[in-house]
Amino acid sequence: MLAVEDLSFAYRKGAEELFGGLTYEFTAGAITAVTGPSGRGKSTLLYVLGLLLTPNRGAVLLNGQDISSAPDTVRSRVRAQRVGFVFQDSALDPTRTVLDSVLEPALYAGSTLAQARRRGRELLNDMGLGSRADHRPGEISGGQAQRVALCRALVTDPMVILADEPTGNLDRDNAARVLAALSAAAGSGEQGVGRTVLIATHDPFVIEQADEVLAL
Amino acid sequence: MRPLLILREALATAWAAKVPSALVVVLVATMCAATLATVGRTAAAEAQLLDRLDSAGSRVLIVADTARNELITPTIVDQTALLSTSERAVGTLIPVDVVNGVIGDGGTRVPAWGIHGELPAVATLLAGRWPGPQEAIASRDALRALGMDEKAGWVTLASSTLADDWSIVGVFEAREPFDDLEAGLLYPAPTGRALDAVRVVLTSASVAPAAQAQALRLISAPSPDALSITSPVSLAALQEQVTSDLANFGRTLLLAVLGAGGLLVTVITLADVLVRRTDLGRRRALGATRGVIVALVVLRTVGPALCGAAIGTGLGIYLTARLGAAPPWEFTCGTVLLALLAAATSAVPPALYAATRDPVRVLRTP
Repeated sequence: MLAVEDLSFAYRKGAEELFGGLTYEFTAGAITAVTGPSGRGKSTLLYVLGLLLTPNRGAVLLNGQDISSAPDTVRSRVRAQRVGFVFQDSALDPTRTVLDSVLEPALYAGSTLAQARRRGRELLNDMGLGSRADHRPGEISGGQAQRVALCRALVTDPMVILADEPTGNLDRDNAARVLAALSAAAGSGEQGVGRTVLIATHDPFVIEQADEVLAL
Repeated sequence: MRPLLILREALATAWAAKVPSALVVVLVATMCAATLATVGRTAAAEAQLLDRLDSAGSRVLIVADTARNELITPTIVDQTALLSTSERAVGTLIPVDVVNGVIGDGGTRVPAWGIHGELPAVATLLAGRWPGPQEAIASRDALRALGMDEKAGWVTLASSTLADDWSIVGVFEAREPFDDLEAGLLYPAPTGRALDAVRVVLTSASVAPAAQAQALRLISAPSPDALSITSPVSLAALQEQVTSDLANFGRTLLLAVLGAGGLLVTVITLADVLVRRTDLGRRRALGATRGVIVALVVLRTVGPALCGAAIGTGLGIYLTARLGAAPPWEFTCGTVLLALLAAATSAVPPALYAATRDPVRVLRTP
């Protein structure tokens, strides 16, 4: 279960603090859309929750444990094993195959290459992209790339998926496909609990499809 | 992340970024080839010089009893041969002229040396056997001069006042540095008789001062004028000076080559890190620790450096072989290791820079 307690963050000392002491519990098994005007910290909240940024005040709680103040090594390990990221522009490695991109987080989490490959192929097949496994990102469409990014986010079977504007560069059809995949991911978490899926977005279509909305 | 998988990722990255990888290959190859061609040649020259300085002829100590005071007894010769600084030692008598016993006084005269000590220390037996009392072995040159076709025959003193003769029982070839004995015959010195000189082949020229002091202590001459000494002491000093000078020169040159090469590797790796900051930021976001990032950057440099070291070493060996100054193999191996170490070390600062960058800055799409 993912939650924040009295959370505030500022990029620089003396700069405006974001989130204003936010306290919130994110629902497992549901998609939460994080919305707000530009500059309110939608993406920043995701990076704080994903332990890439350390809050100035407050805490990020994962299953009740404050992980935001842990050492970098611990946070990296939690990020690899418990958190899946989907970036706006998919951020796939243009020099590697689709399969290599998918299995990357599993390698950081300590999987063997064989285990990671097996899991990666399963996910790509489930997403209808099995035939693209040996292609490079430049050889697939934007929508396919975003679904590959979602496979990458799921390869370690994480508790949390953080998606930063995942439909920002997609047309409506592809956006719908990605949202459907995220929704399926939310409902398929470990031990039947479901995953916590957060989407930072200003897209009304996504907000409409979300189960919950957190307005910053 | 498992170490082999870090290596896999690093090599894949090195392959994907071919230009910086190729630059590292060229740099490290140049470092290795330049080191072998310059410092390696210096090391080879030093080794050749030391070989020459340490040849048997350059490490002979001769102490002669010029006043014939019977100072050099057989016992002293035996003790000298047993010194730790002594490779081999014999006592010699002043050579006497001998002639073919059949021909007599009118025959060609050749010198004959009385030897106390192990004859194999000064000669190699080519035919026949080692001589006993009143027997001798002759060199091929001496046999020809005496008019003896084979090692059969006898020689007698070419003296009007003294008489002595020896049967020829073998043929020898003088060992270095006793080449002067090739001119004549060798016979065992009479038992108990004092020798005129002791000749010592030292283990190395550098022990000459100690060996000289030890020999003089054994002989215990009543005055310094009683003995004549031929010693490689000054040669030992020269050897030490040459070795030191060459080593200093080589060290300075090596540091310059590796230092310059290492600096350029740092620049190339830093440029590569800056170009790949999005890739590295993504890796951090997906769970790579700072340590993994450092390992990726360093290994990504070491991979091409290994190729460069192989190419540069091959080229360096070829060049030095053409110039006739191939360095010792230990030097070559050391060069490879140092070049790789320099490349790996040079990649560490850019690796640390990459590991401490804020991944959020590079991941955010404006």
